[in-house]
Parts: sequence; C-alpha cells; structure tokens
Amino acid sequence: MSGADLSMPAVVAPGETVASMTRRVSDVPLDPRRSWVWWWVTLAISTSMLGLGTIGILWAFYVGIRAWGNSWPVMWGFPILAYVWWIAIASGGTFISAFFFLVRVEWRTSINRMAETMTLFAAACAGIYPILHLGRPWFAYWLFPYPNVMTLWPQWKSPLLWDFMALFTYVVCSILFWYFGLMPDLATMRDRARSRFAQILYGFFALGFRGSGTQWRHLKATYAVLAAIMAPLVVSVHSVVGLDFAGAATPGWHSTEYPPFFVFGALWSGLSTVVLLLLAFRRPLGLAPLITDRHIRVLAKLMLTSSLCMTYAYIMDAFEPFYSGEATERIQYLARITGAYAPVYWSMIACNCLIPLILCFGWARRSHFAVGLVAVGSIVGMWLERFNIVEITLRRPHLPSSWGTYVPTLWDWVIFVGTLGLFLTGLLLAIRLVPMISMYEMRELLHGKGQA
Amino acid sequence: MIVALFEKEDDLRHALRRLRAENIGPIETYTPAPVEGESEQSVIPLIILVAGLLGAAASFGLQTYSSTVAYPFLIGNRPDFSWPPFIVTAFENAVLIALIAGIVSFLLVSRLPLLYAPVDEATAMRRASSDGWVLTVQGREAATLDRARRLLHRLDAASIEEVPE
Repeated sequence: MSGADLSMPAVVAPGETVASMTRRVSDVPLDPRRSWVWWWVTLAISTSMLGLGTIGILWAFYVGIRAWGNSWPVMWGFPILAYVWWIAIASGGTFISAFFFLVRVEWRTSINRMAETMTLFAAACAGIYPILHLGRPWFAYWLFPYPNVMTLWPQWKSPLLWDFMALFTYVVCSILFWYFGLMPDLATMRDRARSRFAQILYGFFALGFRGSGTQWRHLKATYAVLAAIMAPLVVSVHSVVGLDFAGAATPGWHSTEYPPFFVFGALWSGLSTVVLLLLAFRRPLGLAPLITDRHIRVLAKLMLTSSLCMTYAYIMDAFEPFYSGEATERIQYLARITGAYAPVYWSMIACNCLIPLILCFGWARRSHFAVGLVAVGSIVGMWLERFNIVEITLRRPHLPSSWGTYVPTLWDWVIFVGTLGLFLTGLLLAIRLVPMISMYEMRELLHGKGQA
Repeated sequence: MIVALFEKEDDLRHALRRLRAENIGPIETYTPAPVEGESEQSVIPLIILVAGLLGAAASFGLQTYSSTVAYPFLIGNRPDFSWPPFIVTAFENAVLIALIAGIVSFLLVSRLPLLYAPVDEATAMRRASSDGWVLTVQGREAATLDRARRLLHRLDAASIEEVPE
C-alpha cells in the first residue's frame, strides 16, 4: 500500500449535516422538479431488454429446452452459467451490508442500501434460471418437501436440493433484511412526502414506524442479529452453489476447492458490481457528498484482495489435475487451456488476475476510471469463468466417446439479455421509489462525527 | 398529552433526565435516530436464537423421519440415517425461520403495524423522522401536565403542543 493513502478523504463531505443529508437522500424520489431524462432513456433500454427476454422465455416454454444449446455432454449450458454468475453478484451486496455492519466500519453506512438493492434484483435474475432449466417449470414445487399423493420425498443428500433450499432462503431473507433496514427510512419518506398518494404509499409500507424509544431499541437489537445471520447465510449459499459442482464425480468439478473458490468469485464480482453502480449513480442522484472517493478507494482495496484470492484459486485449479494423477482430469484441464475455447480461459485469467493488479498502485485506486475499468473486467471475467467451469469443463467427460462441444443458440443470448434488462429495470424503479442511502444510520454516523 | 420538540439530541437527553428526576411521566420519545445512552435491552435476540435452534431441530427431524421411516431408499448401501448431508438443509431452514421469527417478533413487540396514533396530530411529529427530536409526556392530571409544560419551557423546547390522547 502506498503512503499516499494515509490521507484518506472523509466518508462524508464536510459541511453535510443531518438535515441536509436527509433532504439530499429523500429528495431523490420525492422532489418533483428533478430532471429524469437519463432515467427514462435508460429505462426504455432496460425494459426493451426485459421484453426481449420475456419473448425468449415464452419461446422456451413453447418449444422446450431444445431452444437452447444444451446438449450431451454439456447439459447445463447457459441457464446454469447465468444462474451462478447472477447469484455471485448478488452475494457481494449482502457481504458488504452484513459483514461490514458487524465489524462497524463507517464507510459501509452510505453504500449498504445500494448494495442490498442490487442483491435483490441480482438474486431475482438468478432465481429464474434454475426454474427454467428444469424443463418442466410448472413442476418446480416438487422441490418442496410437501405431503403428496405419491408419498415421495426430496433427496436430502443431493447438492441440487441444498441449492434449492439455499437459494430460496437467500431470496426470502434478502428481501426481508432489506425491508427491515428500510422501515425507518420509509417513515421519513412518509413524513416528508407532499402528495397524498406518496404519503399513503410510504405510510402503508412504513407500518407506522415512528421512531419511538421502544421501536428503536428493538430495531437496533434485531438488525444486529439479522446481520449476524445474513453473513454466514451468504457464505453458505455460494458454498452450496460450489457443492452443486463438486458433488458430482465429474472431471474438473470434483474438488474440495469449489465452495471457497465460489465464495471468492462471489465477492470479487459482487464488490465490482457495487463499485460500478456507485460510480454510475452517485452523481446523477446528487449523492456524491455522501458516497465519496473514500468509498471507492476502500472498495478498490477489497477488490484487489478478492482478485488475489481468485488467483490463488486458479493456481489450485491448475495444480489439482496434475496432483490427482487422474488422466481425465489432466485431459480436460489441458483442453481448457489449449483447446478451441482457450481464449475464454486466458481472457478470464487476464480479467480476474492480471488487470486487477493495477489496483496495487495508489494512483489506480484514486482514479475512478481505472477502478471502473477493473470492475467491468471483473464482471466480464466472472462470466467467462462460469463459461469455463460450466461449459468447457463438461466437454470432456470420462468416456472419450462422449466428448462433445457446446455452442449457445440465439435464444440463450436472448434470455440472458432479458435478465440484464430485469436487473436494470428493477434497479431503476427502486431508485425512484426508495431512498438509496440508509438515512437513519447516516444520522448516527453524522452525529458521531459532530456534524449533526 | 404534551408534545415537545427539540432541535438537538443533547437537549432532548437533558430534558429526559430532568423529567425523570422530577418523576413526571409516562414519557415517550420520537426521534430520527436511536437516542444515545437509552436502554438497549431487547428480548428479540433470544427469540431469534430459540427460533433458529428449533428450526434446525425440526428440519433435521423431518429429514431423519423421511429417510428412515417414511421413505427409506437404498443408495450405494449407505445407512438410511446418514446424517451429515442433512446439516446443510437444516442450516438453511434454521436461518430462514430465525430471520422470519426476528422480524415478526419485532413487529409484535413494537406493536406494529399501527398506521394511526393520537400523537400523529402534533405538527412536531412531521420532523421526528428527519431532524427534530420529539418528547411526549402523557398524564391525566392537569397539574402534572402543567408542571411538565413549565419545565419543558425552561429547557428551551423549540415548540410545545398539547394533543388529545
């Protein structure tokens, strides 16, 4: 770390008070005079993508899985690739919100709402894929252990069931945790709204939170415990996703490295997504005095750390095929790094291991352009990694007679673009409806700094 | 009920101390952030712990029942009660139940949802969720309320209102 970082900028711009902060944050959804041209333009693009994706999903319902490139030996295809990619991005948001609440770092306060909101919609995009991939999505409820006339039970020992349990828990808990932390801010919105409709809307969802002594006392205690539960949950969720792969005796997947490897990847892509959203939205929303250079620099350091963890995981990934002595493991690994899809592997190494190394330098962490570039690289790199794990690895199973290849179809891409649209649309709508910074926690922070 | 508004948290804390010293009450505060130095005790962490443990036990029990009694299924000659894989689902279920229990018990303990309360009639309450620090004194006796009003006046409350309870 360079010495220049000792003079870190403040987490809140000087001169910001409780009143000005509350106005700044709550005005984003409430102020009718604000110009939203950029918002409408982006929304038009994102809803078009969402519409396209909806057509893709309807087509897949109509013709079935043959719409996609999934075929023996690569049965998992795009749906699982995108599922793992999205759930990894989602995990990063919860990680920032829950872990850094527990360690009481002050820079967490102005970015946790954005991170959690990002989590919600990324988890929603992730949740769609396994259901589509079932092939008969109308039987998705068979995964629940419910009393049925066939007297059948789920297979408790299967990682795929664990995955369903983990994802279901994660989606429900993310929504509830987000909403619980939002309640005091909804009360603020209710009291500041001028239109009757907004007052009723926010008033309804604030549930009558008034900031009474009893309410604060229990809210604080509950929130702390919920954060302490969310932190291990998010690690478990991505570990279970890793076990989906490691649990099968498939060459390239059957490794104890997978759960931590996936958790590293989740941190890496999730942190990068949060950074990108902060860089993109802090100025248009007028939140730059509250989301400062300090936040970007801290997140840049965390990105560097998680990228180094990824590098370690890739080294182990390369070491194990040769250490295991399994011919199939070696063959599939060599096919990955030298075969037809070798450019995917090497681009992944560049995006996830090499480019992020520039964050070792202070000037790169101070440059929003450089940090943003690394973040984009990370999101692309993690997508390539999922392609590498799901698609390329499956091309070389044990039996050479089963070797094959994988090419995604147009419909694979259409649905993927659709989930990008869903993510963006959800995020844009949330920006117009919900305060993007946790105001009550900011008040405590400002008070502690004597900036009340 | 008397509703007093303070501009600063310190003024509210000072007023709280004085009112408590004079044994005037019951007092309630409505503030934009938790008041420093007030009690932080809550029963909810305990409820969450119990709910989580019960959830884990119930989930583990269900898996044990289904794989030993209801639907024993021989896979690779493993024992029916091969329990280590049950831990994952038990953990996920425990988290889900604990979190829901925490939020539901918060709502119950804080008596929410409560979309209307008499205190909402006070104009000071419009600032209680942004930057005003509000304190209310309830009481039926006119003398007590009078004493409270005079005391709050001396303590430099920004505004003092009276609303029907």
